[in-house]
Amino acid sequence: SGYAKCNLPKALNGNARVPIINETTIPKFFDSSRLEKSVSRNNTKLKLFSGTANPALSQEIAWYMGLELGKVSIKRFADGEIYVQLKESVRGCDVFLVQPTCTPTNENLMELLIMVDACRRASAKKVTAVIPYFGYARADRKTQGRESIAAKLVANLITEAGADRVLACDLHSGQSMGYFDIPVDHVYCQPVILDYLASKSISSEDLVVVSPDVGGVARARAFAKKLSDAPLAIVDKRRHGHNVAEVMNLIGDVKGKVAVMVDDIIDTAGTIVKGAALLHEEGAREVYACCTHAVFSPPAIERLSSGLLQEVIVTNTLPVAEKNYFPQLTILSVANLLGETIWRVHDDSSVSSIFL
Amino acid sequence: CNAADPYKFDGGNSAGFHLLTGDTVPASFSRTRLEDSIYQNTTRLRIFSGTANPILAQEISCYLGLDLGKIKIKRFADGEIYVQLQESVRGCDVFLVQPTCPPANENLMELLVMIDACRRASAKTITAVIPYFGYARADRKTQGRESIAAKLVANLITQSGADRVLACDLHSGQSMGYFDIPVDHVYGQPVILDYLASKAISSEDLVVVSPDVGGVARARAFAKKLSDAPLAIVDKRRHGHNVAEVMNLIGDVKGKVAIMVDDMIDTAGTISKGAALLHQEGAREVYACTTHAVFSPPAISRLSSGLFQEVIITNTIPLSEKNYFPQLTVLSVANLLGETIWRVHDDCSGAIEPFSTLGID
Repeated sequence: SGYAKCNLPKALNGNARVPIINETTIPKFFDSSRLEKSVSRNNTKLKLFSGTANPALSQEIAWYMGLELGKVSIKRFADGEIYVQLKESVRGCDVFLVQPTCTPTNENLMELLIMVDACRRASAKKVTAVIPYFGYARADRKTQGRESIAAKLVANLITEAGADRVLACDLHSGQSMGYFDIPVDHVYCQPVILDYLASKSISSEDLVVVSPDVGGVARARAFAKKLSDAPLAIVDKRRHGHNVAEVMNLIGDVKGKVAVMVDDIIDTAGTIVKGAALLHEEGAREVYACCTHAVFSPPAIERLSSGLLQEVIVTNTLPVAEKNYFPQLTILSVANLLGETIWRVHDDSSVSSIFL
Repeated sequence: CNAADPYKFDGGNSAGFHLLTGDTVPASFSRTRLEDSIYQNTTRLRIFSGTANPILAQEISCYLGLDLGKIKIKRFADGEIYVQLQESVRGCDVFLVQPTCPPANENLMELLVMIDACRRASAKTITAVIPYFGYARADRKTQGRESIAAKLVANLITQSGADRVLACDLHSGQSMGYFDIPVDHVYGQPVILDYLASKAISSEDLVVVSPDVGGVARARAFAKKLSDAPLAIVDKRRHGHNVAEVMNLIGDVKGKVAIMVDDMIDTAGTISKGAALLHQEGAREVYACTTHAVFSPPAISRLSSGLFQEVIITNTIPLSEKNYFPQLTVLSVANLLGETIWRVHDDCSGAIEPFSTLGID
């Protein structure tokens, strides 16, 4: 059909619904003229490479952009050291390296740093680190004395390795952009989740948006505004002393409502599942959980599939192994969003207008 | 040392000013500190003040038993700032006390020139003591094509030669990460909490209120310290362009004493509208607590309009006497900052409980 040929990953099995957006459902601002335009760029200096952390996402991005992923050899020596060699020239190119620094965090981070360094030494004109999930993002402040601010350290390492720019999804705090002295494009994945929720036709009068902790209230509120100004509730979890069980309080009202819990990360799922139990006690009719980053450290899967949640809606910034699928899980793709952002960064056209 | 003259307010009503005297200094601020410091004739510790808040700097040096260092600061006709240290700082551990409050750019530039002067005068270490960090609210890009000015200021301070920063109640805790030099973050909260505890409001009557959704974590930390008081949040929304904003309260304050907590009060719009809502929702009394009293117009008229039982602030930013009003209480952070400076200088963390929980060791 005139598109550049690309190798799609094999169709995923299992119960999870993975609605990969194809050209018939691409929103208007992702119009197909982008695809047509990209085919005609035979001499493009744009190169897209993937690390080993999430190759399926990188492939989807390349497909959206009508490009082949660049060839790269990444291997580990017996002692664990990482070796990277670019298998094609990047001299004078605008290089985008797609690598979430998810678990195993330090391995994936080091791999990214070595890829950045390899591109720099190969005379790339510009190197952009595309980091769908930014590991150490939660280590963004000193909560007690004598701690590191590891998110800042990672920002320094990426910059020192030679990155000219960073493209990151849903950083844990907006302030983390300030840790970099190079430009950062912060991509919000909320629209992907909101589009999906809108398609479910939950009456806006039935909705309450819930923040599972006090730190995420601003995020939940921004989400609620986009959902027809839905009301807001907050789970306030406290420990009334050392070695005393924590007590959960709900601020706000969810009786008879559909509660949509919003967070940026689900890790062990303790916070969100305890919050969901509280919401049921407080009379919520249904509870949904939405988050961008599905870290899913043990025992997250058991907790999330225990029946407390009507649906768990995540994106594919991190890969979720098929063995971890469960019936309530829905995985949305951010590939088109990232692909569009990469095009605009490369073209030097506006990125923020994607989110208007 | 020459202690500042006690604050005076002409017109009969006096602001409830609670400068901690020797008799009320907590045990952890023991007098031996003062005695020790007098005997250290060879101390390498120097404290200088910029022009933004000399009274606070004087209080700090009084706490430490030191004289403020002599410094000449003047402005040329064209507005350029001139600084000359009037005593040697060679090999010294220098602390420069300067909040970057309005006029923010003037006070910031003055601080940068002071830092540069100390560096060129062979100071051993230079610490910028910034009780109020201007541009702190510019800590993120809320839309595309904006600066992160708080990060820019951090870069400027570092580049001018500061080795360390001591700051009060930064707007977000993450802002410490903007610096590549050590930052000691001092919270004004304990000073306010001590004062509230002395008012003996029954903890069963208390509700701590965050005036916006961004400050919930701060209010919650405050509530925990107030016998785990319950929490409420003012959620202010605008339901479309050019439509008046609508206020909602999440939580319950009926019959309660509501304590609104924020890190700063600027024009006081948010906190006044929030207080009005709390009264509508049945709060018996409303208090406002904040560390930084920026008080840009029309803050004074809003705060003194009768919505607040009391407005409790600290002296990180100087407040001119003409802006005093009957409900105002000004607490001092001088002893807190003085103690922190002493420990930074001494490279001491100490296990004294009040400070080990402040994250400054």
